[in-house]
Amino acid sequence: MILQTIITGLSIGSIYALMAVGYSLVFSVLNFSNFAHGAIITLGAYIAWAIMVQFLRLPFLPALLLSILGAGILAFLNERIAYSTLRRRRAPSLYLMISAMGVAIALQNLLYATIGAKLYALPPVFAQDAFEVGGATISRMDLFAFVFSVVAIGLLHFGLMYTKVGTAIRAASHDMEMVSVLGVNLDVLVAVLFLIAGGLGGMAGVFMGVKYMVYPSMGWITNKAYIGAVIGGLGSLPGAIVGGMLLGLLEALVSVTTIGSVQLSTYRDVFSFGILAILLIVRPTGLFGRLVEEKL
Amino acid sequence: MAYAQAIFTNSAIYIIAAMGLAIFTGYTGLFSLGHAAFMAVGAYTAAILTYFYHWPLLPALLVGMIAAVLVSLVVGYPTLRAKLRSDYFAIATLGFGEALKVILENLDLTQGARGLPGIQKLAGPVNTAAWMVLAIWVCWNFLRSTYGRKIIAIGQDPVAAEMIGIRLLPNQMLSLGFSAALAGLSGGLLAHYITFIQPAIFSMDLSSLLTAGVVCGGMGSLTGPFVATALFVVVPELFRGLALWRLVLYGVLLVVIMNLRPKGLYGHEELNLSNLPKLFLIAGLTVGLTIGASVYNAYAPEWGGAPSLLLAALLGLGVTVAMNYAGRGLARLLQPVLPILSATWHRGFNHIVRLGDGVFVPWTRAAGAAATGDPGPQANTVAADKPLLSIRGLRKHFGGVIAVDSVDLDVWPGQIVGLIGPNGSGKTTVFNLTSGVYPIDSGTVTFDGRALAGQPPTSIVLGGISRTFQNIRLFSSMTVLDNVRTALHTASDYGLFAAFVQWPWTVRPTEERLRTRAMELLGVVGLEAYADRVAGTLPYGLQRKLEIARALALHPKLLLLDEPAAGMNPQESLDLVELIRRIHERTQLTVILIEHHMDVVMNLCERIAVLNFGKKIAEGTPDEIQSNPLVLEAYLGQKVEYAPQG
Repeated sequence: MILQTIITGLSIGSIYALMAVGYSLVFSVLNFSNFAHGAIITLGAYIAWAIMVQFLRLPFLPALLLSILGAGILAFLNERIAYSTLRRRRAPSLYLMISAMGVAIALQNLLYATIGAKLYALPPVFAQDAFEVGGATISRMDLFAFVFSVVAIGLLHFGLMYTKVGTAIRAASHDMEMVSVLGVNLDVLVAVLFLIAGGLGGMAGVFMGVKYMVYPSMGWITNKAYIGAVIGGLGSLPGAIVGGMLLGLLEALVSVTTIGSVQLSTYRDVFSFGILAILLIVRPTGLFGRLVEEKL
Repeated sequence: MAYAQAIFTNSAIYIIAAMGLAIFTGYTGLFSLGHAAFMAVGAYTAAILTYFYHWPLLPALLVGMIAAVLVSLVVGYPTLRAKLRSDYFAIATLGFGEALKVILENLDLTQGARGLPGIQKLAGPVNTAAWMVLAIWVCWNFLRSTYGRKIIAIGQDPVAAEMIGIRLLPNQMLSLGFSAALAGLSGGLLAHYITFIQPAIFSMDLSSLLTAGVVCGGMGSLTGPFVATALFVVVPELFRGLALWRLVLYGVLLVVIMNLRPKGLYGHEELNLSNLPKLFLIAGLTVGLTIGASVYNAYAPEWGGAPSLLLAALLGLGVTVAMNYAGRGLARLLQPVLPILSATWHRGFNHIVRLGDGVFVPWTRAAGAAATGDPGPQANTVAADKPLLSIRGLRKHFGGVIAVDSVDLDVWPGQIVGLIGPNGSGKTTVFNLTSGVYPIDSGTVTFDGRALAGQPPTSIVLGGISRTFQNIRLFSSMTVLDNVRTALHTASDYGLFAAFVQWPWTVRPTEERLRTRAMELLGVVGLEAYADRVAGTLPYGLQRKLEIARALALHPKLLLLDEPAAGMNPQESLDLVELIRRIHERTQLTVILIEHHMDVVMNLCERIAVLNFGKKIAEGTPDEIQSNPLVLEAYLGQKVEYAPQG
């Protein structure tokens, strides 16, 4: 029973982590919460739906790759259209957040207006969906998503640590001005950043779509991954992973718990936000967030 | 007509909430994404009172406001205390809003997700408009009071605000409570206007509408949020035919405004003659769009798409241009008339106030006036037989770096002491420890007989130590006068309610007194002529002087000046020396001065202490310091050896 809960928690947690990493990547360099990331995730899921169900009827893997690519490009365009002017003007992060919110609202309602509020299912990927380990059922898709997420995050980590671009991104997260003085083209750096964040988001969107459904509000601003990123500490990759996983586990736990006759799952969101509130009061910058002290 | 009325009433209701949020986000600088929750509290409380208990509207609204304030304080206290930074605070408020929604959906009293249908329709365009006018008036008054200035100061620079003795938490709570009261009022009116409320109404979409209205309208402005919120309510309504596309339009509008207008529509400005045309242009665009849309709708079936679109575009454009020119014309027309009107108004108002003087003054001010008189410029009364500031064994480390190491320093009343040393020698850290910005690792700082360790910066400041900053920290969007007047907050004696209504018999005399005092202080540093300039637009040297005037406004016993001559040319630093000498002579003020311009230091200071790598390596008169080999070594990096002559 408890093993089952943990497995369920980890499988959804790994997708949350994948989504949360996108928020954290952008925050680490540009210092604002990219509320539009959820919309990119949703669009990634819709791309997969369009490719697998609606038009080309391609198998899962090519659809996944195309979703990653498409979402990456959309995230890049999003930055170009909605953030680059503000970024060059060094606008306060509040302005970027509002602009991001505008993009999120516009994209979500674009989906409502064109495709509609209907829920769509992505076709099952594996014929024989589940197997048993020690009394707990593990769905093959969950396992696949988990492994794929871990590999993707691992690759990202490797890229950030050992490639030139990765080093530049890490440096930019400390001091963007300095990096640009050292001759790094910030526009290119930010473009790469958004391509990566969008790509990971697209991947997460497809997994979410396969696991649940595809619908316009699946990536709305209040989505769990963003909360996970905040819990872990915005701008921190380990934080995003831990935060996402933690939230997945918590949700799985809350979903199966009842106190008296009250099913806690009704209040699942209250729990997520409650944890968030308590954590922020104790640790104002999340678990792994950096506290930037101002020099007087 | 009924439709126009509905749009108007809706706008007015949302504008009330937006005014509150303008205070909280636009002026206090805290980003909330959960104000819809306070609207929900106000709406549900008021609706339940009229619905189940048949209360009349007014008391129900008031109780709703009180409930919203209480909830806001309960939620706000821990989050504001934890000093969450912008994004984190936003997500915390967002989380609160979502959590409250879920709770409302599951409570029996609120009838869950079904909501409360059939609330009496007690609010209409007339009383809503009246409430809106009242709300704007109260906000306007509040911002022009001591309380408002404190909040604006916090929004512009929390650190500088603390350094003039403004406590962050209570003032931020005041701002939150005030904005929640308006949100509660707005919610209560909404419930009794649309007569049906359910938790889904008060979702994040509504919170974000308000926040977007404030930010797009412009931070530090009431006009901006007013215009932008009206725009966000009206424009999507015009495109009702577009159904879901209007929300796409709204999202795009947010992106466009943020990208095209760096400060929003009216950032840090209110409606006046010079920006009146802008308002007409915005209104013109809206009306133009309306006319265009309705013309298209009317003629498209008969004429087909293209020609009717052309007609719609032409008409819309025509109206926009016409409105734009009407605005400019009106501004030009009002140019000569407005000063006369305003002077007449003030004369009339003052006349009425004078009529009431005899009635109101005796029990409101007469008693207080004598007791809380402002000390004004006068000599400091400090015992001269013991040091004013006494630092013993002061130590502070940051990680592995020992910034200040066992520093002892005595400053006697009336002295000007110089604190010099190479960059990174710990001078500013000594200031930061003395003024309570950083906690002290070990050692003691005694000021005027009291130990300072553990005291918050605000009480140290109010105890008599004020300071300036190495990097100028003015309230840069405030006027020069208001920068100083804000620092005079301790000399203000009227209550919060008086501030809300600008009660003429208490607020006016106090404000006049503060203004006179502020002008005097500006006179001391020679800035009277710039009183109405925005502080951020002053030249660098004058900004430094303004910072000194602001520090003096707190009537300090000890003034800490952190590199006041940094970036000044020789003439400017000479002026500064004169200024500091003048201030010192006028009030026998004790000063500690960090400075790299040696001519300034040697000119002014009776005694000089030299720091190097956190340790005090020398102390003495300027002459002693100039010939001290240790000091020379610290500055020049090598021992000075005298070669034997001949």
